[in-house]
Amino acid sequence: MQTTKYWAPSILALAIASPAMASDLNINGFLSVGASMLDDDKVEVAGADTQGGFKQNTILGLQVSKQVNDSTSVTGQLVSRGSDDYSTEAAWAFVTYAANDNLDLRMGRLRIPAFYYSDFLEVGYTYNSIRPAEEVYRLPFSSFDGVDFTQRFSSGNIDGSVQVYYGRYVGDFKAEGDDTIYAADFRNLTGVSVNTNFGNFGTRLSYNQGELNLAGGADPTSNLALAEAGAGAIAGLLGDASAAEDFNLTGQTSQFIAAALTYDDGTYNLLAEWTSFDHETSLLADDQAWMASAAMRMGEFTPHIRYSTRKEVADSGNEGKIQKQLGLEGEESSITLGLRYDYDSSTALKFEAQHHDEKTIGGVDGESAMLYSVSVDLVF
Amino acid sequence: MKLFTSSCAALLISMASSIAFAEVSVIVSANNPNASIDKNTVSKIFLGKTKSFPDGTQAVPVDQNEGSATRATFNEQILNKSDSQLKSYWSRLIFTGKGTPPKESGTDAEVKALVANNPNIIGYIDSAAVDASVKVVHKF
Repeated sequence: MQTTKYWAPSILALAIASPAMASDLNINGFLSVGASMLDDDKVEVAGADTQGGFKQNTILGLQVSKQVNDSTSVTGQLVSRGSDDYSTEAAWAFVTYAANDNLDLRMGRLRIPAFYYSDFLEVGYTYNSIRPAEEVYRLPFSSFDGVDFTQRFSSGNIDGSVQVYYGRYVGDFKAEGDDTIYAADFRNLTGVSVNTNFGNFGTRLSYNQGELNLAGGADPTSNLALAEAGAGAIAGLLGDASAAEDFNLTGQTSQFIAAALTYDDGTYNLLAEWTSFDHETSLLADDQAWMASAAMRMGEFTPHIRYSTRKEVADSGNEGKIQKQLGLEGEESSITLGLRYDYDSSTALKFEAQHHDEKTIGGVDGESAMLYSVSVDLVF
Repeated sequence: MKLFTSSCAALLISMASSIAFAEVSVIVSANNPNASIDKNTVSKIFLGKTKSFPDGTQAVPVDQNEGSATRATFNEQILNKSDSQLKSYWSRLIFTGKGTPPKESGTDAEVKALVANNPNIIGYIDSAAVDASVKVVHKF
């Protein structure tokens, strides 16, 4: 009780001395603990298996930020993921310089702002589902080192922001359906995203591109190296040696586009997001993926439903023929039914059942399976 | 039993009406030059979408503590968001380094004292607690 008494005047004094309340060290955290169980081992969804387990869905994040002076702040966020054997990574580590009230310049380790959920992808508390739709949220890395500018705008009922970034990613990279961990060196990562809110509606558009490189090349026994060698052999059989030249990664550019539309009137919450991946290299198949979700808030309960799908599209000509031979074709979709229960204003319990259908995987017919998940998501 | 039910109902109704009808005032210091601020601007200031008053001076919003009835009314009427929606909104900004929520600064009396002493601070209190040290710029 005494502490309270002594604190009150000092907080008051602090506030008077510094209108921006600049001198606080902010510590925030988030935690998601979840378990999931798959009913068929032939299908791969969210790293789950038929034995069930907590590890894949567990994420802990701790963030420290401090306003250093009127225009400069520093932010660091450490994230530890069960799916990554709890190795801790700095997801964010940057310094922000506010050029004015509406223009921020950030430098350091940032998140690739490719998707609607990108920035807060790991803070499960901020969305209704247990995890974002895997069919759509498929970038093999999430952070990069570089710089970005964010310009906010506001006029009447419309507000929003434009973000432009540039940087490089050096680190691990896992291709889909491939267990090898490659040493990525993705260069000249650059992109722009535009967010707009008007009343209950919101839109988001983003364009991103980057240049692929593997530090030290791919391990000769890895899928990528085998596919590259296979492409050479098949190109020889087709009598079109030049087609094989498109089957390497080095220096090739990939483009990623995303467009999202949101609606939230306090009761109904809708989100639709469409994305497209276009690779210059034929070693990775171009694909398109989209999702649509709807949720209804009824007090503490929020039931929701989501459909998500992804389809790989083969190139034209001999490159496409080679891709088909290599099995670079797939199509998958999921329907997810879930319930979020807000236990209190910082804890959410979530239950989910997902039907995942692999229509085509590696060029052949796939299987389907049910995935059951529960999670507790907190912010503190 | 019937008496109990009806008295419970009466209690609920009176509670509901006292919550619904407690008038809330958005306040700034008596020295703050802004005369009145519309709901949209108040909402933008408290959601971190603007950092200045209509006259261009710096605006620093302060919240009441979680659990205060005044805060619940304010969130519902001005921000149109439930507690958990608001928590999600701020979490998205906090964990991307894009913003921090207004400071929790006590209840009516503490907020009034903070506002009275600093022309940059904007807060909200139960209208019954308003006195000459502060200026009401919006009422609902």
